Amino acid sequence: MVAQPSRSDRRELVRERAFTAAGVTAAVALVTTILLFLFELFITSRSSRAAFGWSFLWRSEWNPVTEKFGALPMIVGTLVTGFGALLISTPFALGIAIFLADYAGKRAAEPIKYLISLLGGLPSVIFGLWGLFVLVPLVSKFEVWFGKLVGSEALVASGTTGVGLLAAILLLGIMILPFSASLILESLLVVPTELKEGALALGATKWDTIQNVELPYVHKSTVGALVLSLGRALGETMAVTMVIGNGMKMPTSLFDPANTLASAIANQFLEATSPVYIASLIQLGLILFVISIIINIAARVILRRGVQQ
Amino acid sequence: MTGRKVKNGVMGGLVAASALLLIAVLAVIVWHIFISGVRYLNWDFFTKAPTPMGESGGVFNAIVGTFLITLVAAAIGTPFGMFAGIYVSEHRGQRFADIVRLCADALQGVPSIVIGIFGYTFLVARFRSYSALSASIALAFMFVPTTARVTEEVLNLVPSGLKEAAYALGARRSSVVWNVSIKTAAAGITSGLLTSMARIAGETAPLLFTAFGSRYIEWNMLRPMSALPLQIYIYASSPYPVLQQQAWSAAFVLVLLILLLQYGAKHLIARVLRVKA
Repeated sequence: MVAQPSRSDRRELVRERAFTAAGVTAAVALVTTILLFLFELFITSRSSRAAFGWSFLWRSEWNPVTEKFGALPMIVGTLVTGFGALLISTPFALGIAIFLADYAGKRAAEPIKYLISLLGGLPSVIFGLWGLFVLVPLVSKFEVWFGKLVGSEALVASGTTGVGLLAAILLLGIMILPFSASLILESLLVVPTELKEGALALGATKWDTIQNVELPYVHKSTVGALVLSLGRALGETMAVTMVIGNGMKMPTSLFDPANTLASAIANQFLEATSPVYIASLIQLGLILFVISIIINIAARVILRRGVQQ
Repeated sequence: MTGRKVKNGVMGGLVAASALLLIAVLAVIVWHIFISGVRYLNWDFFTKAPTPMGESGGVFNAIVGTFLITLVAAAIGTPFGMFAGIYVSEHRGQRFADIVRLCADALQGVPSIVIGIFGYTFLVARFRSYSALSASIALAFMFVPTTARVTEEVLNLVPSGLKEAAYALGARRSSVVWNVSIKTAAAGITSGLLTSMARIAGETAPLLFTAFGSRYIEWNMLRPMSALPLQIYIYASSPYPVLQQQAWSAAFVLVLLILLLQYGAKHLIARVLRVKA
């Protein structure tokens, strides 16, 4: 007589196997997604590579009429807006994080943290709407004023629009501020209290402590946080699309209309009719995808090292 | 000596000023949305589809679209995200689990327009039609990584003593996870799902080339459909002041919807923390 497994035992075994299979499937699916994106974008953009090869990356002509496509103006636009936004928002992000970690009491810090998460949760298109109808007219006024100041007729004339790189940089700066501030705050909060108290006990002022103890302690994770924010800024689509002006030429000044990789796709994809045009836009997407994956993985690695130290 | 003290005071003032600036910027943005949004709200706005001239119609089509597209995306994404999160949490410290977590992190950073263009080539071009379903699937690709990470983080908070007690009673892994971990972490996971839904409900770029937009009140997921973010983008770029005003009103409705989802999420988190304490 061999003991038969009871019915409920068998059912439990089936459930256990199904459970394991579901977990493994979902995990594998997640990893495969990245490969699927790469594969799909690579295949559908091949006619662009057949036509332009590697020179796609450094040619500066983007002309749908003659069907000559080079990504350089968009790459430049992406880098200028991304780094520009990071440059103007980082001092404020640091300030906010330090204020919340060391100056504000719990009563003040909690509502401000809530406001930060609120600002970070607003959809990109809402920032775009606000940027288009509130920020862009202000930039336009500034442009006219600045044009008169330096005596440039061209600037005064173009100032009637206000859309362009500068508007995009300012809007992006506002958009990544809550993101980088909360990431920096997270790393500031893990600085051991004994270190801070030690410095204070030696007669250091509060700022001495922040400058010489706290910031050196978190410098790695702060870099990680900034790299993550940069990744956000580089890929930000709708808000930038609405205020950057869809310029196809290489921008020569901060007031010029331009495009980022993302905004070029959003602005032009539905109008694109020829196969090479479509493939070239998908190719821009592939470049953006590869950049964002590299930046995100790099940032996570830096952040992890920062925590382990 | 005094130099240090002066510096201390100045820097303290500066960091406080940057916090104030953030509050000011937020206040200005919210104020604009509220003032410009509320002004043109009326009953028709919530109950009617756009009229051809855009003068008296509303955005009911977009409200329906946002609900349908978001809910279907969440329905598709939730099982994948939750099981991936369970997998990573249950295999903590193992190499493959680390890779899965890294992939989830990397996917969270993928620009929304890339998701949109992928949705187009992968679904729309293949089936030769714009559809709300392809938009939901595209959004699911954004929903899965966030859900996976949140599920994992919440599950990691479940006290190991609880799980060990269940194992000691002879329970299998599946029933420990289902009956102990998930039950303990239910509020946290739900809160994570709501936060992720709030995020995808506001996405525009993934919908541009998938849902495409429609002027009609559409319930069929296999046809083009509008959504609030899409409508805001289209109206904002239009030259007609009437439509631009509707863009502000639609923005107000969208922000309200997102705040509601986030409030729900926060409320649930507060409950979890109370249980823990």
